[in-house]
Amino acid sequence: MIHVENLSKTFSLNARQRKEMGTTATSVTAVDNLSFDCKPGRVSALLGPNGAGKTTTLRMLSTIFTPTSGKIEIDGIDAIKNPEEARRRIGFLTGSAGLYARLTPNELITYFGKLYGIEDAVIQSRKEKLFGLLDMHDFQNKRIGKLSTGMKQKVSICRTMIHDPQVVIFDEPTSGLDVITAENIIQLINDCKNQGKTVIFSSHIMSEVDLLCDDISIIYNGKLLFNDTMEAFRSQMQAPNLTAEFIRIVNASKTTAQ
Amino acid sequence: MIGTIFKKELRDTLRDRRTVMMMIVIPTLIFPIIMNIFVGVSSSFQEEAAAKKVSIGLCSQHTSRLEKELLSLPASLGKKEIIPITDTNAMIAALRTDSLQIGLYIPENADDYLARKEAIPVKIFFDATEVGMQERAEVYLNYISEKLKKERFIELKIDEKTLVPMELNYTNVASDKEMIGKFAGGVLPYIFIAFGFLGCMYPAIDLFTGEKERGTIETLLTTPVPRWKILVGKMGVVVLSGLTASTFSLLGLFFSIEVMDLVKDKELLAVIHGILTPGFIALMYCLLFPLTVFFAGIMIPIAVRAKSFKEAQSIISPLNIVIVLPAMIGFFPGVELNYITALIPVVNIVLATKELIAGTLEWHLIAIAFGTMCLLATLMVMVSHRKFGSEQNVVN
Repeated sequence: MIHVENLSKTFSLNARQRKEMGTTATSVTAVDNLSFDCKPGRVSALLGPNGAGKTTTLRMLSTIFTPTSGKIEIDGIDAIKNPEEARRRIGFLTGSAGLYARLTPNELITYFGKLYGIEDAVIQSRKEKLFGLLDMHDFQNKRIGKLSTGMKQKVSICRTMIHDPQVVIFDEPTSGLDVITAENIIQLINDCKNQGKTVIFSSHIMSEVDLLCDDISIIYNGKLLFNDTMEAFRSQMQAPNLTAEFIRIVNASKTTAQ
Repeated sequence: MIGTIFKKELRDTLRDRRTVMMMIVIPTLIFPIIMNIFVGVSSSFQEEAAAKKVSIGLCSQHTSRLEKELLSLPASLGKKEIIPITDTNAMIAALRTDSLQIGLYIPENADDYLARKEAIPVKIFFDATEVGMQERAEVYLNYISEKLKKERFIELKIDEKTLVPMELNYTNVASDKEMIGKFAGGVLPYIFIAFGFLGCMYPAIDLFTGEKERGTIETLLTTPVPRWKILVGKMGVVVLSGLTASTFSLLGLFFSIEVMDLVKDKELLAVIHGILTPGFIALMYCLLFPLTVFFAGIMIPIAVRAKSFKEAQSIISPLNIVIVLPAMIGFFPGVELNYITALIPVVNIVLATKELIAGTLEWHLIAIAFGTMCLLATLMVMVSHRKFGSEQNVVN
């Protein structure tokens, strides 16, 4: 279960950042008063164009960033007051995340298992199970740097699931992957849903959201434009298809802002 | 948890060829290579200078006593060839083209000076870029001068000893160990500091900027490990790498002396053995430890803030000069550890090590130097913690 209430994040800008962004403003609001819930056994999508605030939101959920204001509960734990405890319950996978190229999958998964405070015997048995499920035994002792993109994706999945998290956060997980490699991620999301885990994933691809999600939140410029179930989204559609409807909602928000 | 992070980072670091080169290979080879080149070049220069046949241009009337003496110089003073030259301009031109190595101008009335028992004004021309030629001219002319002086003493019926009012006997009370410590003792800590810095550099960039660039830091930060523990685990590897680089440079020195026998002088060898005792090495590591933490503490905030490996490297590399330059102060024999220099970072450790080598250490000054470095190291660790804790710095 994820509960987000009036969540905001403002970054102060130093001179270098102001120059890079071509602005004179001393701060920028990336997330503005966001509220939504993600329920166990359901997949929630955070949909928005590039720069909408999806990654910042997910980084706050995973406690990498501290919110400027608002409330986050992860599996009943206050993630702002008790971030370490919240992190124990989170599995985080991002499409842009790398892996330690000089380690082997075996070493990497053991390392992360230890970081989550799991006992060696439990790490071993979970590793065996995940390696079997993802067909990783053949390359478990090869350096990650020498693996293919698909193999690396399997290692990332394994790392995300080694501590059996109740909440799984995916930040544009299929970004840069081909259809066959992305299939592993889609399978993982479905498995998590079937196991009753809470899943949230961000994307800017409507077709992916349509395929996987039960609930949808659309954000633009850090603000929540839509938050409901996929059925509700479909039933309220004014455009001929889902992608067109997403674009219509974003454009309507731009017009309102002007 | 710190141990888990430390072990993983160490394994990762030791698998990085660039770091291993900087941490182990180069520090190990530097002393044998430098000493081999130094010994080889200096001995070949000496041999070459001694064996070289010197062409001496002589501008004179060819009749003076002085010229005759020059022609009859014993062969034991070095091979030579006397070439008559008509004027000094031609002599200078020949010296410039290296067809002559020494030029002598003897006045026409040289014998008159001798008869009047006056000093003959001899002009000596040489090219200072030709090593050893001035010394060779001095050898030849001093030999003749001494011979003529003795003749004058006999002629004037003077006992040479009556002209020497004092016999000066100097006794050096400093031990060889002190001499080496004070005059050459700065070299050892300099090399240790230079390699300590270089040893820290690549792991600091790789473990902080590298993680950010590769996108691995984000996943690390989603684990339930407090950031300070991640920092300490990583910093431990950076410090260990610096100390390892210093250690391998010491092993290289040991290898040069004990295995390659590059120090031929037995007395010097005995002094070096007397210096490199386990006690000295232990004390030196005590001084080096806070210094290496200080280095790591300087590099980590830069590495944390940098967006790319290149950016971090472009800032930290020039810093090497700023840090290592003060270490060169130790090369100057007059600079010693006192209440002021003990407070200057880097310089204080170099000077304290010099005192250790010379065996003239004053414990209270060493304690001030050590305390200063510990304080600065703690301060830099706190700065690193603050920078690493800043969310805008840890992810791109």
